[in-house]
Amino acid sequence: MALQAEPQVESAGSPPAIRALGLVKSFGALRAVDDITFDLAPGRIYGLLGPNGSGKTTLIRLLAGLTPPTAGWAEVLGTRMPSRPNLSRIGYMTQADGVYSALTVAENARFFGAMYGVVGDQPAADALDLVDLADRRASIVGTLSGGQRRRLSLACALIHRPPVLFLDEPTVGVDPLLRVQFWSHFRALADAGTTIVVSSHVMDEADRCDELLFVRSGKIIARGTGREIRAQAGTADLEQAFLHLGGDVEVAR
Amino acid sequence: MSRRRVVALFRRVVSEIRRDRPSLALLFIAPIVITGLVTFILRESQAPQVTAVVVNLAGTRGQLVGSALGAALREGGATVSDVADEAAARAAIGDKAASVGVVIGTDAATGSSLTITAITNGLDPSGEASQVSAVLRSVVAAASGASGTAVPVVRHTTVYGTPTDDPITTFAPAIVGFFAYFFVYILTGVSFLRERTGGTLERLLATPVTRGEVVAGYTLGFGLFATIQVAVLMLWALGSLHVPALGPLPPFSIGLGVAVNGSPLLAFLVVVLLAVGAVSLGIFLSTFARTELQIIQFIPIVLAPQFLLSGVLFPVSSLPSILQPVVAIMPLNYAVDGLRQVFIRGADLGVPALQLDLAVLAIVAAFFATIAALTIRRDVV
Ligand SMILES: Nc1ncnc2c1ncn2[C@@H]1O[C@H](COP(=O)(O)OP(=O)(O)OP(=O)(O)O)[C@@H](O)[C@H]1O
Ligand SMILES: [Mg+2]
Repeated sequence: MALQAEPQVESAGSPPAIRALGLVKSFGALRAVDDITFDLAPGRIYGLLGPNGSGKTTLIRLLAGLTPPTAGWAEVLGTRMPSRPNLSRIGYMTQADGVYSALTVAENARFFGAMYGVVGDQPAADALDLVDLADRRASIVGTLSGGQRRRLSLACALIHRPPVLFLDEPTVGVDPLLRVQFWSHFRALADAGTTIVVSSHVMDEADRCDELLFVRSGKIIARGTGREIRAQAGTADLEQAFLHLGGDVEVAR
Repeated sequence: MSRRRVVALFRRVVSEIRRDRPSLALLFIAPIVITGLVTFILRESQAPQVTAVVVNLAGTRGQLVGSALGAALREGGATVSDVADEAAARAAIGDKAASVGVVIGTDAATGSSLTITAITNGLDPSGEASQVSAVLRSVVAAASGASGTAVPVVRHTTVYGTPTDDPITTFAPAIVGFFAYFFVYILTGVSFLRERTGGTLERLLATPVTRGEVVAGYTLGFGLFATIQVAVLMLWALGSLHVPALGPLPPFSIGLGVAVNGSPLLAFLVVVLLAVGAVSLGIFLSTFARTELQIIQFIPIVLAPQFLLSGVLFPVSSLPSILQPVVAIMPLNYAVDGLRQVFIRGADLGVPALQLDLAVLAIVAAFFATIAALTIRRDVV
């Protein structure tokens, strides 16, 4: 573990974990994702920040190969998406919980484990431990609280230990203590080499990411570390920077 | 196709239904209650009560026929009274004091032969038909009694079964097939719709599972319940367990006691093929539904025509010829026919009619499974 915890060095030669090349997704006249191109390096946490309807979920679905792009393409770990076999290397925590409420916590975890081709019950048990749900294993999911369901949803994305993880607003409805725990898990996973893309509205979470991507009307309007973005916008906090870069308000400098 | 994934899907579907009490009641209790009720109605229907008023407008000749007719009617359990004229008869029937009027008159054209007119209320055509046929039977009896010449007797025999067979014998196969189809469709449709709207399908399709595996897992899961349902229904339909009187309880019997001539296993095969088609139909139609109510709204469009055109209620041969091509494409029709072949005719696998039914059901099941798989797109939101 100590060895894996060594941060991955980003060298010019190391291939990107995730690539987008001129990605476009149109719904009729609406361009939900509008010509996005980027490379994301392995072992880092990327924050996808943007207002409601800016295209974060659509971008994640394109990267995860859940919907075909209108133009351009996405690559994950060197394989062009959509690719069914590649899905076993990707974890996706959806914005809606997407767990079966008639099943127990353990049954959900084992079911998604089986879908990912995981052998044995241990990985499912480990994932539940990780989100602190081990003592609720036998509970029917319909009887869980909203935050507990969110935690189960995260566990279901982790069972197969994917090297690439998409988390669509993972901490919505999660209490502050657990939110801190979630982020330390994310950090540990990234340190072990997992590439993580997290979407969020919560700006104080943004500073925990290695790099931020600001999404606006389907375009990436800014990219960089928290400090870089603040400097670029000339503002003291990210919230202000976000509004400024979006062109909504003339922010007093 | 990964066996482990299909098994995991199958187990998930089974655990979901097992915990869903209303669905279990829908699968097992509802068909038993409904078939029990239908059997009770068909078997215990009362012979129509005939209250006849007789009007004689044909003098002494009519008097003679009238009293012979009255005697024959009374023999059949009817109450008979004479009234003076047709107006009085009509008034009595209008007030429901009498159920049928019999007017004996002379034919206006020949002036010699007698005519008999039956008058009924007109509000309940099918009930009144049995009143008129009671009068007809009595006319035949009266005629042969009065004239002394024996009227030829018409007998009726059938190739399969006997004409006096319990009406349930033809009804039971139809209803077993229909219930399997109906309930499997509703349960799969609703369950798959929940998968679509609840975000679990999105999640499921983010795993390396194939569409074929999803359809196979669902088919096995709901197929299992359909099989158990059919087993229970068949036990119920074929069984007849007599419970002797016990204290204040009168003796009664459990089960409908339908006689079956063929192998119940073959009947099983027919229904399982039908149910597989119903699972895929449910998955397919859930694509076009946004809410669970809409799954129910498909019933009048998809299931009601099958119910009407597959010989469950009306014999297929009596349907208008313009509808016959439609009848030919109703999957339920082949299941009902197949079940009747097995139940009544005692058909085995060598019978071409049964082979055709099984082949059509298998093709329909495969066809719907294919389009169901195609409608599970990775592109659903
Ligand atoms: N299947 C679809 N059909 C039509 N329009 C869609 C579809 N999916 C998304 N959109 C539209 O695309 C735009 C981007 O949606 P998306 O869900 O990606 O936003 P988001 O950034 O995730 O928002 P939020 O923060 O609210 O989750 C929205 O305007 C949405 O209405
Ligand atoms: Mg979203």
